[in-house]
Amino acid sequence: MTLLKREEWQHFVRDVDWTFRYVDDEAVFPEWHSGTGKVPREAWLSWEENYKVTYPEYVATQREKEASAYAVKAALQRSTAFDNLDEGWKSSTKMHFGGVALVEYAAVLGELKMARFGLNGAWRNMATFGQLDELRHAQITTFFGHEFVGKDPQYDWTQKTFHTNDWVPIALRNLFDNMMISPNVVDLAIELPFTFETGFTNLQFVALSADALESGDVNFANMISSIQTDEARHSQQGGPTMEILVEHDPVRAQWVIDRSFWGSARAFAALTGPAMDYYTPLEHRKQSYREFMEEWIIDQFIHTIEDYGLKKPWFWDEFMRGLDTWHHGLHMGLWYWRPTLWWRPKAGVSKDEREWLQEKYPNWEKVYGGKWDTMIDNINANNVEATLPETLPWLCSMCHLPACNATQSRDGTWRVRDWSLSYGGKTYHFCTNACRQIWWKDRDNVNHETLIDRFLAGQIQPMDVGGILNYMGMTPDVMGDDPDYAAWTKDYTGRPATGLALSTAKGDQS
Amino acid sequence: MTENATVELPIEDQAPQVVPLNAVFADDFVQILVPVTTADTVREVAAAVAHHVEGKRVRALPYEKVVFHNGRRLPPEMTVAEAGIAPLDHVRVEYDIPKGKS
Repeated sequence: MTLLKREEWQHFVRDVDWTFRYVDDEAVFPEWHSGTGKVPREAWLSWEENYKVTYPEYVATQREKEASAYAVKAALQRSTAFDNLDEGWKSSTKMHFGGVALVEYAAVLGELKMARFGLNGAWRNMATFGQLDELRHAQITTFFGHEFVGKDPQYDWTQKTFHTNDWVPIALRNLFDNMMISPNVVDLAIELPFTFETGFTNLQFVALSADALESGDVNFANMISSIQTDEARHSQQGGPTMEILVEHDPVRAQWVIDRSFWGSARAFAALTGPAMDYYTPLEHRKQSYREFMEEWIIDQFIHTIEDYGLKKPWFWDEFMRGLDTWHHGLHMGLWYWRPTLWWRPKAGVSKDEREWLQEKYPNWEKVYGGKWDTMIDNINANNVEATLPETLPWLCSMCHLPACNATQSRDGTWRVRDWSLSYGGKTYHFCTNACRQIWWKDRDNVNHETLIDRFLAGQIQPMDVGGILNYMGMTPDVMGDDPDYAAWTKDYTGRPATGLALSTAKGDQS
Repeated sequence: MTENATVELPIEDQAPQVVPLNAVFADDFVQILVPVTTADTVREVAAAVAHHVEGKRVRALPYEKVVFHNGRRLPPEMTVAEAGIAPLDHVRVEYDIPKGKS
């Protein structure tokens, strides 16, 4: 029997739209899920993906990828590679496993929504492959992380993180629920495949993969590279959707891309920034987080939005300034509130590391050096207690991350400023101007309560540090601590230090 | 006196209420949650905020501390209730550094 060539039959199977006779279109594609808005329904007929794939091709390729990823894993399992990894790097992977595994599962739900409510048969077909991709990503990430549970219980948070009320997954749930679960499919295609997958996952999956290889973690690099090859395919759902939306409703297109870019940038500053600039051993760093962002995100993002006739987001200057501050403040916050983490954050501020930071970020010493020095001197005075939290950091009502973004005043001083607003009789605080603006425009959307909201509402009992850690699901065997205080404090031992908190009487200063 | 104060009792006779604040201390890197009470003085508010930061992340300086609320520098003996500091308000605590010193 002669088989038809692919190009002779594929158009029949990739575009299966037909005219409904027994129900109207709105019943099948309700606006609240399909979200055509101002775009005429027939405009979606022109939706076309650039790279076409058939189911047999898809299955064959994915099988190869899986076989390859698991073969490398099996080989490395018999080696001592894991035991020789630096804890800083291991902690980057713990953070990744916990922060990503179930986000991949949420992406399954997002892709399924597009597979059902996408406004063109080819789009729905592509989303069907997309959801299979995301299922594979959720599985491979969970499985690879699970291997290490026996060696280190912090890896158990690969699967556990998103089932807890730890502040990190609350922040990520808020971001990804708004990106994948609650939007209609048009907004979803702009937020997830177009903005997040085309742009930001490059940073986590390509740039972090480079750091993984440098750090000797071939297994992790292999896993995330395998995942990234899928992203390249299913992320193309964004482009054709964007083309149609921009033509008919450019204001909406701009808003959706702006808000998802901002939310993604905040989350990456918290997770990828510290991993690249502090946790990865100095000798293994390829580039700074800022350099990675410039190369992998900013240039590409600007080109992309200009290609579609869109403008830079209104917050662009604030975002660019934040590349020098956001992740440094967040790193300090993660380290100070380290008992709330499922990894061991290393401070990474030895003399050599600080020289590197100062070279990459010329204001680093001025903004952060003094505070690290005070903490270093406390540790060298055997007062680690002074570097442990007794209250909560204030969490932004939009991104749910600590409000820790210093900006420079005209007189040259750096201060964390208050961005607040009152609405419905309540005062809300934000970490940045753009978070405040996005929250205001999105105030009727689903926004999770921050940990501060929950604490003040009496949901966390007892209302102390122990109660908070228990609410977060944090147990003593997992609770984060610095893996090696001496590694970054020994350079400073013996120097005179004034103005430190006394270890014997809390609240009194010397 | 705030508009919300009850009419039955003068403010100094009312039971103190907890006032959770969004606070930042000098050039610290982060805003923090600090609970005070309506009966606390501004000086006590400054101490409560400083407790979490001074000598821990920001080196202690030998100067008085002052509290700013809604752009206003508050007198140290005034109470939280008298100053009109409400729950979830933002306060900033700074050292009162004499001119010429830094």
